[in-house]
Amino acid sequence: MVDIVPLSSYPSYIDLLPGIQTCNITNLPENYFLKYYLYHALTWPQLSFVAVVRPKNGYTQNTGRQAGGKPGSGDLSGQYPKVVGYVLAKMEEEPTDGLQHGHITSISVMRTHRRLGIAERLMRMSQRAMAECYRANYVSLHVRVSNNAALRLYRDTLGFQVENIESKYYADGEDAYAMRMDLSPMWVDWSAIEKADREREQKENGEAADEGDEVGDLGKKDAEKMVKVKMGRALGVGDLVEKNESQA
Amino acid sequence: MPQQLSSKDASLFRQVVRHYETKQHKKGIKAADQILRKNPNHGDTLAMKALIISNQGQQEDAFVLAKEALKNDMKSHVCWHVYGLLYRADKNYEEAIKAYRFALRIEPDSQPIQRDLALLQMQMRDFKGYINSRSAMLQARPAFRQNWTALAIAHHLAGDLEEAEKVLTTYEETLKTPPPVADMEHSEAVLYKNTILSEAGKVDKALEHLEKVGHRATDVLAVMEMKADYLLRLDRKEEAEAAYTDLLERNPENSIYYDALIRAKGISEDDHKALKAVYDSWANKYPRGDAARRIPLDFLEGEDFKQAVDAYLQRMLKKGVPSLFANIKTLYANSAKRDTVQELVEGYTSGKVQNGEANGDQNEFLSSTYYFLAQHYNYYLSRNLSKAMESVEKALELDPKAVEYQMTKARIWKHYGNVQKAAEEMEKARTLDAKDRHINSKAAKYQLRNSENNKALDNMSKFTRNETVGGALGDLHEMQCVWYLTEDGESYLRQRKLGLALKRLHAVYHIFDVWQEDQFDFHGFSLRKGMIRAYVDMIRWEDRLREHPFYTRAALAGIKAYIQLHEDPDLVHGPMPAGTSREDDTGEDSERRKAIKKAKKEQQRLEKVEAEKREARKTATAVKGLDGEVKKEDADPFGTKLVQTPDPLNEATKILTPILEHSPQNIEGQLLGFEVYLRQNKLALAQKCLSAAHTLNASNPTVHVQTLRLRKALDNPREPLTPEVSESVNAELEKLLPKSQNLDEWNKNFLSVHKDSFSHIQAALASRQLINPDSKAQNENDLATALGSNDASIESALAGRELLNEWRSEQATKQAYAEKAKGKWPESSVFDLE
Repeated sequence: MVDIVPLSSYPSYIDLLPGIQTCNITNLPENYFLKYYLYHALTWPQLSFVAVVRPKNGYTQNTGRQAGGKPGSGDLSGQYPKVVGYVLAKMEEEPTDGLQHGHITSISVMRTHRRLGIAERLMRMSQRAMAECYRANYVSLHVRVSNNAALRLYRDTLGFQVENIESKYYADGEDAYAMRMDLSPMWVDWSAIEKADREREQKENGEAADEGDEVGDLGKKDAEKMVKVKMGRALGVGDLVEKNESQA
Repeated sequence: MPQQLSSKDASLFRQVVRHYETKQHKKGIKAADQILRKNPNHGDTLAMKALIISNQGQQEDAFVLAKEALKNDMKSHVCWHVYGLLYRADKNYEEAIKAYRFALRIEPDSQPIQRDLALLQMQMRDFKGYINSRSAMLQARPAFRQNWTALAIAHHLAGDLEEAEKVLTTYEETLKTPPPVADMEHSEAVLYKNTILSEAGKVDKALEHLEKVGHRATDVLAVMEMKADYLLRLDRKEEAEAAYTDLLERNPENSIYYDALIRAKGISEDDHKALKAVYDSWANKYPRGDAARRIPLDFLEGEDFKQAVDAYLQRMLKKGVPSLFANIKTLYANSAKRDTVQELVEGYTSGKVQNGEANGDQNEFLSSTYYFLAQHYNYYLSRNLSKAMESVEKALELDPKAVEYQMTKARIWKHYGNVQKAAEEMEKARTLDAKDRHINSKAAKYQLRNSENNKALDNMSKFTRNETVGGALGDLHEMQCVWYLTEDGESYLRQRKLGLALKRLHAVYHIFDVWQEDQFDFHGFSLRKGMIRAYVDMIRWEDRLREHPFYTRAALAGIKAYIQLHEDPDLVHGPMPAGTSREDDTGEDSERRKAIKKAKKEQQRLEKVEAEKREARKTATAVKGLDGEVKKEDADPFGTKLVQTPDPLNEATKILTPILEHSPQNIEGQLLGFEVYLRQNKLALAQKCLSAAHTLNASNPTVHVQTLRLRKALDNPREPLTPEVSESVNAELEKLLPKSQNLDEWNKNFLSVHKDSFSHIQAALASRQLINPDSKAQNENDLATALGSNDASIESALAGRELLNEWRSEQATKQAYAEKAKGKWPESSVFDLE
């Protein structure tokens, strides 16, 4: 049985990174150093997910390596179930269209575990996180024009649309469909949250109503201005730039 | 006092620094040289120049220059700082820290030096030093949130959770209004604080905190997970049930959620009806999901199981889900379930399908069914290889192009012990879908198992970037393809080509070193990004990095290689026949001399081939790495330097140590640890491994033989032991095998307890040989007899053959044994004589 779990949020399954890398290089020709996976896991920890085979006797509980571990949610640290799929995702760091959006760096499912809907589940988890955590306007990806199964998943099942064809995108000369899908319907209304909090606070503080309103409105404007999430600044981490996403 | 420059040169110096920061190295060097023309002994300039040429990869020249700089200006913090940076680049962190400290003593307020020192302290896990550095940095710039968070991390990792929480709270209290939801740094810092509370065991406080602030955190899923987890731990069952229900609605494919939900609902493990009802409701809600249908098969019994598994199997077979068997086989631990599945699926082939006509393609259903049966009869708990082969042939008849079916055929041959046929059939599978890398990888793996290393690499090269330095193999190294390097190394180990075996396995150890090093950049990066929880999890993962099974597997193979090399130093030349030794060397024409000659010739041939390949690559492409830096071809492609080590056992201990430290529960690690330490006459360490192995599995056959070997080593030490060692080892060994024990009796008793296990019989015979070397003929005889027992498997038969090598048995004896094995497993190839 296959479980879909987050890579590096809560609980963290970061121990699975070498298994993810192996899954990738077993299945696909586009490969990356472990550091590039680490870069994704540590920059956008909410966006990547892993599919693992549940061990025969379930997950053994954390043996207490860390004081007060995480017994409830089956902490996987120090356990190494087989990785049969993953989605590695990120936010575009310098979007050319100026719109915050997510990007699927790599996704694959082992041939032996296809037709279980694993890729679909991985995609949906990642897309939702992009919308919720980063207010991604859309998610983009590339797919080989010959990859019919993947195309069906993205277009027919998930609702992606083909933006354009990128000629010779892959190292072997094959073209790619550049696809994207709108994510704004999944956004969380942050200003509503902020407004509700302000109102609650005012109630608790028992301040005069009119004064409270004024503060509230000001705050709201600020909030709208602040909606853009800070990203892409100080990318750093040495070599972890796009070129490692080696198409070349 | 730093040396003074003229104002013109001082401005030039500032340019040097700027060029360095913007990585304009050529300009930087030019400006530095201009200063040095007038001020040849200017320490800071010399140091900056050293730093630049170090960045260009000229590490040795850089060190020479940096030393000269220091000689000229011992009191310059720039010189010391650069000196430290060079050591850092060399990964000599201890020396780097020392140099930074000198620099900091001269310039206590320098932020860059302080920062570089802090990064190294983190890398070295010098938490005390890190706390000091981060405190100083916070004091210098308290307005930066990063500095607060960093100090909290320092306390947290040092184990002081109270202090960590306090630091975070102190900063929070300076915030007059709550930052907007969009402030990710804040959002993460808040959740980080929450995990500290929970880690400190204050689950109730953590929950209370989460309820207050969690709704503003952007990582919605994490908040839901944390909340559900806390509620369950606090036994607030109703709320926990609601929380896990929410989680399942987001992701119904996570068995951990179902486990938790059942606990929250307080349903007893035995109440199958109630359990099934829960899973059914989720299966109805998400009809396309798998988990809610599959999990009940684990607990259902009897007729209930039969009904459920029947529905499950038919549904999946109709869909043609290739992982169906992988999903079902875990049920076979229960033999009744195994038999039920077998009966049902056999029934499907004769048309016993419920729900009338399958609406899909009847052919596909049937071929999926035969495919399932092929895997079923190929599985060790339900093995019947001729039935497996029959089934896979039927499946292939219906669908000759199905890659999965053809893969299974190859696996059946593997279980027949025929690595050659297995490799051929897997290669056939590969050609069915030449564009798929997965099947390509499998074909290469099977070729490695069949000692076809070149063919395997050739297959791999269809998906690698072959313009990389070193060609396809170079790309597999660069892309850290651990599975291939390990398989290739193990393959060479089986062929007794130890140089190449060690070469590949060391490449794996090196990859782990790189992975450890990879964390360095994140010490600064993650603070800037503010994703603290993931960073802290990463740090802890790095601390147990070599606990990963990938490491253990490669390390075990490497240790075996070094032990072999220690046993037969002639292996340095290439493969020597097993079961002989230098002592058998009888003269100029001995088998051994011939083998050495042959091996040397082969080595020369390989070197020539490699040289030609390199020449071809050189002319084909300009040799440049990803980052434009020139990469060199490997100077030792055959691992000659590795295999020429004067002390193989010492090399073995280096790769053994992480296993014993991180994976002490791995019995093979303990058993090999014993082999290494016993040969080094380190009896206390050998005893520790033995005791650990005994605790893990007292009836392991190797533990039996090793116990005897330690007893003998202790009674007749090769070199005198110190009284302390002798006494402590004796005391421990007394528990396993008392000195007063009659060894013959002890061994006989072991044999009578385990008389039905071929592996244990081998252990008893190996022991008898040690107790009484004159019993060799009898042991050989008994080994051959036991080979005929029902318990003997191909693997244990191969181990038996190793035993004959150990005993230095005659060629005729070995041949008779191999023939008997071949007779028992006529389809196998592994007993064929080379």
